[in-house]
Amino acid sequence: MTSLTANTSTAETQVKNSSRRTFLKATAMGSSGLMMTIALPGCATLKNGGMTQVGDTEQWDSNAWLRIDSDNSIHFVLDRVEMGQGTYTGMTTLLAEELEVDPAKVDVSFAGVDSVYRNTIYGLQITGGSTSVASSWQIIREAGAATRIMLIKAAANTWGIKESDCVAENGAVINNAAGDKNKGKQITFGQLAAIAATYSVPSDIPLKNKADFKVIGKYNKRLDALKKSTGTADYGIDTDLPGMKYAVFTRAPRWDSQIRDFDASKIENMPGIEHVFAVNKPSAVGIAIVAKSYWQARKAQKLLTVEWAESELTQVNDASIFAQYKKDLADDSGKNVRSEGDIESALENAAQTITAEFEMPFLAHATLEPQNCTAWAKEDGLEIWAPTQSADMAQVAAAKASRYSLSNIKINTTFIGGGFGRRINQDFVAEAAAIADHIQQPIKLIWSREEDTQRDWYRPSSYHKLSASVDNDGQITGWNHQMAGSGVFDYFVGDAAPAQYPFMPKFMFGMLESAGKLGEGIIAPADGSIFEGAEAIPYDFANINVDYKKSDSGILVGNWRSVGYSHNGFIVETFIEKLAQLPQVKAKKDSYQFRYDLLNKHPRAQAVLEKAAKEANWGSPLPGCTQGISIHKSFGTWVAEIADVEIDRSANAANQIKVKRVVCVVDCGQVVNPDTVVAQMEGGIIFALTAALYGEITIKDGIPQQTNFHDYQLLRMNEAPQIDVHIIESDEKPTGVGEPGVPPLASAVANAITAKTGQFFNKLPLKLDA
Amino acid sequence: MIKLTVNGTEHSLDVEADTPLLWVVRDYLDLKGSKFGCGAGLCGACTMHLNGNPIRTCITPISSVAGQSITTIEGLGYKDSMSSVQQAWVEHNVPQCGYCQSGQIMSATALLATNAKPSDEDIDSAMSGNICRCGTYPRIKAAIHSVANSNATSNTELFTNIMEAK
Repeated sequence: MTSLTANTSTAETQVKNSSRRTFLKATAMGSSGLMMTIALPGCATLKNGGMTQVGDTEQWDSNAWLRIDSDNSIHFVLDRVEMGQGTYTGMTTLLAEELEVDPAKVDVSFAGVDSVYRNTIYGLQITGGSTSVASSWQIIREAGAATRIMLIKAAANTWGIKESDCVAENGAVINNAAGDKNKGKQITFGQLAAIAATYSVPSDIPLKNKADFKVIGKYNKRLDALKKSTGTADYGIDTDLPGMKYAVFTRAPRWDSQIRDFDASKIENMPGIEHVFAVNKPSAVGIAIVAKSYWQARKAQKLLTVEWAESELTQVNDASIFAQYKKDLADDSGKNVRSEGDIESALENAAQTITAEFEMPFLAHATLEPQNCTAWAKEDGLEIWAPTQSADMAQVAAAKASRYSLSNIKINTTFIGGGFGRRINQDFVAEAAAIADHIQQPIKLIWSREEDTQRDWYRPSSYHKLSASVDNDGQITGWNHQMAGSGVFDYFVGDAAPAQYPFMPKFMFGMLESAGKLGEGIIAPADGSIFEGAEAIPYDFANINVDYKKSDSGILVGNWRSVGYSHNGFIVETFIEKLAQLPQVKAKKDSYQFRYDLLNKHPRAQAVLEKAAKEANWGSPLPGCTQGISIHKSFGTWVAEIADVEIDRSANAANQIKVKRVVCVVDCGQVVNPDTVVAQMEGGIIFALTAALYGEITIKDGIPQQTNFHDYQLLRMNEAPQIDVHIIESDEKPTGVGEPGVPPLASAVANAITAKTGQFFNKLPLKLDA
Repeated sequence: MIKLTVNGTEHSLDVEADTPLLWVVRDYLDLKGSKFGCGAGLCGACTMHLNGNPIRTCITPISSVAGQSITTIEGLGYKDSMSSVQQAWVEHNVPQCGYCQSGQIMSATALLATNAKPSDEDIDSAMSGNICRCGTYPRIKAAIHSVANSNATSNTELFTNIMEAK
């Protein structure tokens, strides 16, 4: 057995996979193990600041994905953050399937910043857009499979048998060679790792067929459930450093104000207060208070007075914002994002034209873990611990707010207490970096709930104008949807563009931001944050026109779970219902059949809708209820939802809409973890029901008016409906799961109420007519 | 100095009297399982037991609980010694982001200690002070029912500590 301890420390092999232009690289770790890394040719690879390495005893490349140690421990670096959506389990399952290990035996840690971890869909190291499984489905399985092939080869050579006589199973290779003296024996992956590391990565990496899957599509555990049920999962807010101080940060009520003056005389001598100073950096403008404890800093903050300079927003209110959207859209219909047939002549020649206007509110993310960031500034570098959805954008934000360059900033990510898109914007990282840099100490910055609610990057409000042409037979001949609102792209490109070019010096960041803005729709994906889901309307109309006019409200906006689909799912499906309720349409078919027939070009959509109708007993509502139906495709995934809703006029005005049950059918292609899909649909439905019943950030004189959970209400246990989720069996590639449960819900509820009272809803949250 | 018993261990703390219990437990005793969510008693992420009763510790000044007995999520169980409520949470894959779940588990544990077989309405009423932004309510409800339906004697054992504290 001497070959098992052969010294292989210098062996490095590479293989190119031409389809993705990526390299898998196997590296021996001294004499003890194997490390599998993935490198992108032609890209500079960032090496981290070197203050803390993942793993404790061995040097580990910052871009490693997989490491097998001689003690048979298997370490996997998760390059997508875990914020509840299940990547921690799902991505590990992909690896475990091909590697042939129990997913629960894999030790998972979170990735730092490296270009190899970039989301292949965005070119950024970003967790969003419901893309984690879809973008990593191939590459992680290939890493697992390549490693397994090399481990099998190592075992075959050790025993002197053919590779085809070896079977990898449960973290070991088993000798299955008929007649061999070692038949039935096994060697663990850990024992084989050092030998396997000396081999070339195979050029051909066949992946398992679906029929051979042991865990993909079957594994129903949640690997982080134990930590999260025992209070032992470490979130950003739980970061603790030796000598760490606590910081709070006072921001202007209107985000664009600069500091004119501040008076800290009342707080400088309060117990525990160590520093009070002004910060004036990109994405970090305000007064920092640093104290020995969080409570000391927070208490002192109440006695701080700040004089803020003029704001451009003092005249901005919801009414003025919607007036601006309408005027801008009337002046210029903007960019055409879908055009089929001739909508103008369809509308001109219509027997009847149906129109509606919609106004969608700003929405806060309200992640239960408030924004926070821990930063440690030292002479040679800055280290950050942050619950961020984009580690590389966090690095840029920290660089812009401090003296450090990208190569001297190390980002550590943590478990995240809810993301929903909020943590794609990195203001909390910029603030912490600036504060730590100023005092050259470790600090933890924690936002209050009030700060978190009032300084969010909201789901943009938007205005929509729809018209449909109907002929004499009640056929819909044309669909015209025009809309206006802010695009979210402009509000994160400042950190995103430099993150894509990490070799650029800091003085180039401004140029990269400008180039990024100009490149929207050309080199960067088009910003669909207002129109996505509207332009892709699936119904079979001869004439379709969709226009988007960008009209910036000046209010901070960002990605909010399901982004543009969040409002267009409601608008399209509510307006479709309005058409379905036309007497001449209703005489022929019900709301379900009306949709079903118009989806004739989308068989997967029809199957989803049909199953929803069956499972919900469409046409036979629960006692006291009426039903509403809705279907929407987002992030590649079809979801249909049917809500059973009761109106309780005896309740308080705010609580008269009672959603009793939601039946949800989802087609997201092949499923990795069925229970995660169910959980994401349940969560998406409750997230969307919160918005449908309560969600609204209002703006007065440029200031968001809501502050905490009493005036920005979230759904509670007693309001949660029964939810039944059904997954369509599929052989198609996996598509998004984290967000697609959201878009259909509000319209399913609204349509159920319409069925009862006839009231048509063109605003959210839903408010019953008296 | 303020005296306080947390998970059975007595502590003497030099801390300002108005400091909320939550921050004392998190930052002075380094028990980080209890979370900060709202600072106003509205979300329940900070829930601990005071003499067996669930309280919102983000608005509980340390001076008001001096000399009393506190149980946190860390006091319920860990890994191989999880309480039956925690085990039910794992079996039902309750957590998503997980941030609220310490508070949810503390509220559920207190409910089951006084009501071994809660109805849906009992659960709604005991748990509606705990917000879950990820929407795990259906699973929380199922997990609570599963504990109630499991072996009654083990339930009694589970809550011994709490009842003793009372």
